[in-house]
Amino acid sequence: MRRYGGAVLLLLTGGAVLRISLFSELYLRYVQAGLRPYLVVSGVVLVVLGAVAVVAQRRGAEGHDGHDDDGGDDGHGHDGDDGHNHGHSHSHSHSHGHGYGPPVAWLLTLPALALLLFPPPALGSYSADREAAQRAAQGVGTFPALPAGDPLELTVGEFGSRAIFDSGRSLKGRTLRLTGFVTHGDDGAWYVTRLLVSCCAADASAGKVEIRDADAPVTDTWVTVTGTWVPKGELGSDAAWPPVLAAESVKKVAEPSNPYEKR
Amino acid sequence: MPPVNLRPDLWTFHRDGTERVDSEHGEHGGYDGYRGHSGHSGYGGYGGYGGGARVVDGLRFAVRALVYTVVGGIALIAIVTVASVLGPTFAMDLYTPAVAAWWTVFTAIVVQGVPFLLLGTLVSAAIGAFVPEKVFTRLLPRNQALAVPIAGAAGVVLPGCECASVPVAGSLMRRGVAPAAALAFLLSAPAINPVVLVATSIAFPGQPQMVLGRLVASLATAVVMGWLWARFGRGKWLPRPRAGGGGSSGPGWRGFLPGLQYDFLHAGGFLVLGAGAAATFNIVVPRSVLDLFTGSPWLSVLLLAVLAVVLCVCSEADAFVAASLSGFSPTARLAFMVVGPMVDLKLIALQAGTFGRSFAVRFSSVTWVVAVASSVVVGWWLL
Repeated sequence: MRRYGGAVLLLLTGGAVLRISLFSELYLRYVQAGLRPYLVVSGVVLVVLGAVAVVAQRRGAEGHDGHDDDGGDDGHGHDGDDGHNHGHSHSHSHSHGHGYGPPVAWLLTLPALALLLFPPPALGSYSADREAAQRAAQGVGTFPALPAGDPLELTVGEFGSRAIFDSGRSLKGRTLRLTGFVTHGDDGAWYVTRLLVSCCAADASAGKVEIRDADAPVTDTWVTVTGTWVPKGELGSDAAWPPVLAAESVKKVAEPSNPYEKR
Repeated sequence: MPPVNLRPDLWTFHRDGTERVDSEHGEHGGYDGYRGHSGHSGYGGYGGYGGGARVVDGLRFAVRALVYTVVGGIALIAIVTVASVLGPTFAMDLYTPAVAAWWTVFTAIVVQGVPFLLLGTLVSAAIGAFVPEKVFTRLLPRNQALAVPIAGAAGVVLPGCECASVPVAGSLMRRGVAPAAALAFLLSAPAINPVVLVATSIAFPGQPQMVLGRLVASLATAVVMGWLWARFGRGKWLPRPRAGGGGSSGPGWRGFLPGLQYDFLHAGGFLVLGAGAAATFNIVVPRSVLDLFTGSPWLSVLLLAVLAVVLCVCSEADAFVAASLSGFSPTARLAFMVVGPMVDLKLIALQAGTFGRSFAVRFSSVTWVVAVASSVVVGWWLL
């Protein structure tokens, strides 16, 4: 086991990366969609490295047997020679710390096993409540026209920035549809919330929309809300925050495969 | 588990050596092979003796296997039973939303870091295995004061975040590049490469001075740190080119693969360590605390510089985070982006692994001060 430690760690890490990026879309809980090709490539490279390490170790071990056996026939003698070379590369790497796995590398088993066995859930209301909801840093101005569609699907982030900063009032009179999870405010208000991520879940910040005219579902339920925008406060001011949607219907939905929105 | 060996040269070797010899056999290199061989010539004739040893070995193997199975099996059954009875109640108590969020952030940082770490170790192992030393001595001026800015500017060529630059800088040093120059490269590469600068310009639309400020302040910090090292640095703060360095294990493919494997595992372990620290801070210190400090311009610069250290946001993403910290002055946000790729918990852990703890602590703290000073000066000048 100790001899194959490095190989096992590489296979484990590579397998974990492939499990979340190639065989499922779980990686979206942790990083952005754009990272997928890099994750798949690194997963494959790690698995190949691990496999090569296993083969090298085996051939190294056999090579020594062959070397001891150099009294044998011609074919064997050749094998022994080959093995001797491998043995060399091993004694080289052996002089570089024990085997291939430095002790600290065993820490890699923590995230690898977590991803393989119990992939941690996407961040939800707990993180949203902790991060003060942040408004996109931008000034008041006109926005490009909204595409056609009735109802029109919008991201929580897009809805928020148009509601607060759009001097053209492009949201007015449109029927809109937002998807997010439910969070509750102190004063009985409830929100459709989405975490905005630019790189990985570590930099998540919350965007939220207050929902009126509908009963609040349980916290962390994923819902799709259809409704119309309720203007409030002066454009770009604190009073305009958070934006408000008057709901016509609230429907429970399954958690989308990408639980975050790109910032 | 060692197989029972039926070949005379090996079992005689068993009698000769310790009982674990066969499991270690592959790691000892040619030396054991030689001993095994001489053992063969010494004992080879005593067939009867060898036959008895074979039976004893087989018995010992069988008994050991039986004991392992029984002990392991009982332990496993006990663990499974306890876990299935107590597990659900424990899990409910321990797996609070905070713990769940910790795991997610922790895993996210590791997942984010793995491709870049792999890229960095690929480059560093390739340098170690395929680039002869004289290339660097020819490319870089002998004069350290000149080599430092050149190495700093060369950071442009390594696309990736800070995880990639540590192993590369380590292998540059092993290849004979002056530490001062390698360190300047280490600091500048994650901050000034094209990917990061493009990300910065996307995060701050219509503010090209932010991109310029980041480039200038980061490069200045890297060069100043290189010069400081050339002037005041002591060789003894850096470990001697360690045997554990992996990448230098030999030229060509034979050195490349073991070097790559070792470097990745080594750096990966420290990445996990740093991710754990970052996730802990992420969960323990809510970002909303920051809003209390936005009033004073000086405090806010220091605060964001500290935040950059504890948040460990990847250098390709930190511009977006900086842009979202809308309550802070541009200079404070610049400091966040200059400090982040050079000093953070994950990076300190990686550096401690590659260059030793005493180096990482000294180097990171000085770098932090220089980076803050340089961003204040550049911010005052440009922003």
